[in-house]
Amino acid sequence: MPRLLLLLPSTTYRTTAFVEAARRIGADLSVASERPSTLEATNPAGLLTLDFQHPDRAAAEAHAFARQHPIDAVVGVDDDSAVVAAAVAERLGLKGNPPPAAVAARDKHRQRQLLAAAQVPVPGFALHRLDEDPRELAQQVVYPCVLKPLRLSASRGVIRADNPTAFIAAHARLSSIIAGCDTEFLVEEFVPGYEVALEGLLVNRRLHVLALFDKPDPLDGPFFEETIYVTPSQVPAGLQTSIAQCAERAARSLGLVEGPVHAELRYNERGPWLIELAARPIGGRCSAVLRFGDGVSLEELILRHALGMPIPSLAREALAAGVMMIPIPGAGVLQEVRGVAEAKSVPLVEDVQITAHPGERLVPFPEGSRYPGFIFAHGPTPGAVEAALRESHRRLSFVLTP
Amino acid sequence: MDQDLRITAEPVDNHRCKFVVSQPLHAAGVRRFASAAEAKGSPLAEAIFAIPAGGVTEVIVSGNIVTVVKDNPAPWQAVGKAVGAAIRAAAASGAPAVAAKAAPAAGTVDDDALYERVARLFDEEVNPMVARHGGRVELIDVQDAVVMLRMGGGCQGCGMADVTLRQGIEGMLAQHIPEVRGIVDITDHTSGANPYFQASKK
Repeated sequence: MPRLLLLLPSTTYRTTAFVEAARRIGADLSVASERPSTLEATNPAGLLTLDFQHPDRAAAEAHAFARQHPIDAVVGVDDDSAVVAAAVAERLGLKGNPPPAAVAARDKHRQRQLLAAAQVPVPGFALHRLDEDPRELAQQVVYPCVLKPLRLSASRGVIRADNPTAFIAAHARLSSIIAGCDTEFLVEEFVPGYEVALEGLLVNRRLHVLALFDKPDPLDGPFFEETIYVTPSQVPAGLQTSIAQCAERAARSLGLVEGPVHAELRYNERGPWLIELAARPIGGRCSAVLRFGDGVSLEELILRHALGMPIPSLAREALAAGVMMIPIPGAGVLQEVRGVAEAKSVPLVEDVQITAHPGERLVPFPEGSRYPGFIFAHGPTPGAVEAALRESHRRLSFVLTP
Repeated sequence: MDQDLRITAEPVDNHRCKFVVSQPLHAAGVRRFASAAEAKGSPLAEAIFAIPAGGVTEVIVSGNIVTVVKDNPAPWQAVGKAVGAAIRAAAASGAPAVAAKAAPAAGTVDDDALYERVARLFDEEVNPMVARHGGRVELIDVQDAVVMLRMGGGCQGCGMADVTLRQGIEGMLAQHIPEVRGIVDITDHTSGANPYFQASKK
């Protein structure tokens, strides 16, 4: 059986989906994390620790591991591990993205530089240091603008400002969020428009669109908390083609060649705009809503592609599908979630997963980014799915204490 | 009756509950009873199956642990009191709570023997390791050579619980007890109050 090296950060939501996918395709699985498993000594071929903070070091460690346990493919599951996977793939001569491309996809500033140079439509942007005087900056920028961390995910720390006063307040909040982990941030032009998310798979530089999600709730700020994703998109077919072409140009401009891509795009009267592109699959537990062919998961597609195994189908099922990232209900310590059974009983809703645990402190955006759970639905039309997600969410209530 | 006898009920869910007793009830391995007929001759199991409206479908007695499975979805308060009374009566009688087990037929899977071996593996090897992360793994049952377990402490809700299960525990079982055919994790991971690795990224 082929051996797969799966890079799973210890804080990812995606462990179960990827481990189960590896089992389904019959791969010999080696799981690497940045922190050791307590059972590592019992299964030296199946568990290892790699330095995810230093991709070159991780690649050397993986190379040493592969001498004992030859590896046929390496897959990362999030922004950081995608960079490590690229370094490992290059070191071992496996299928993967060139490391500079993976790094560019990870770094929002580098990504915008490359995309702008390739004339991919991206918001105007400028890199600033945290220690610059925010009052001076506030007089220089064009409004409305968006302040954005370089490396955080899930829209954490992303804040819109419409005037100098809002800019100075946003700068203070962003500074406290990224203090200690970054010294720079982006200021971007705010691009008005309708936002969509594209899930794709690169095969030898060609982008295969696996799903295009509509985001029916406006994302106009001041914070950018995601809520509902529904597919298939209701965007006109011609515009969907333009969106896909924009995403493919972006991936090529970054130098990405293989594996999953998740892109956020907006469109308005001037056409599609590339807001973000990541060399990883969709985050959280959202991938559970995607099924391909006879029910193959997104993770199984990704692993089959990495291992060079036949892929039965890249076509998503005929039913409409949707997921709601349950909005953070407020700041406080979660005591209880009520109405889960009632929320699950809504027709078309397949599951309601509460991922926050009792006693956990919930932190709203922009300081927080951890959704308390997910709702999944399938149905005959995108509209019916969206309505089911909203009704299911309406039945939930979160009991918080200060 | 032993006035010092203490019984702690640990519901797994509304269908399955473990009763931990402060003294052993059956020291000679595991006894499993899947019906009232099978319980004949074992006073404790007979009494539990006879609980009115209890809906009891299975009783497992191992050392100081009595596991009761019922098919009605009602909470354990009412049935649990009756189980507690049955345990106290059995302990007070002085007679063996359950009868010794007959040798299994040749060629059949002996889940009780597997239960003992898995329990020993968990006690002696798995749990000392996962305890380093504040976790524990509890053997709930073995049915048709499939191990049913529940993860607790730092393992419950841990982002890496599936890795511990599939890359760690499953491999240890395959190595030490190859007769085991599978593992089912019945943990409610959403209720984990102190997971060692908290999933935190979008």
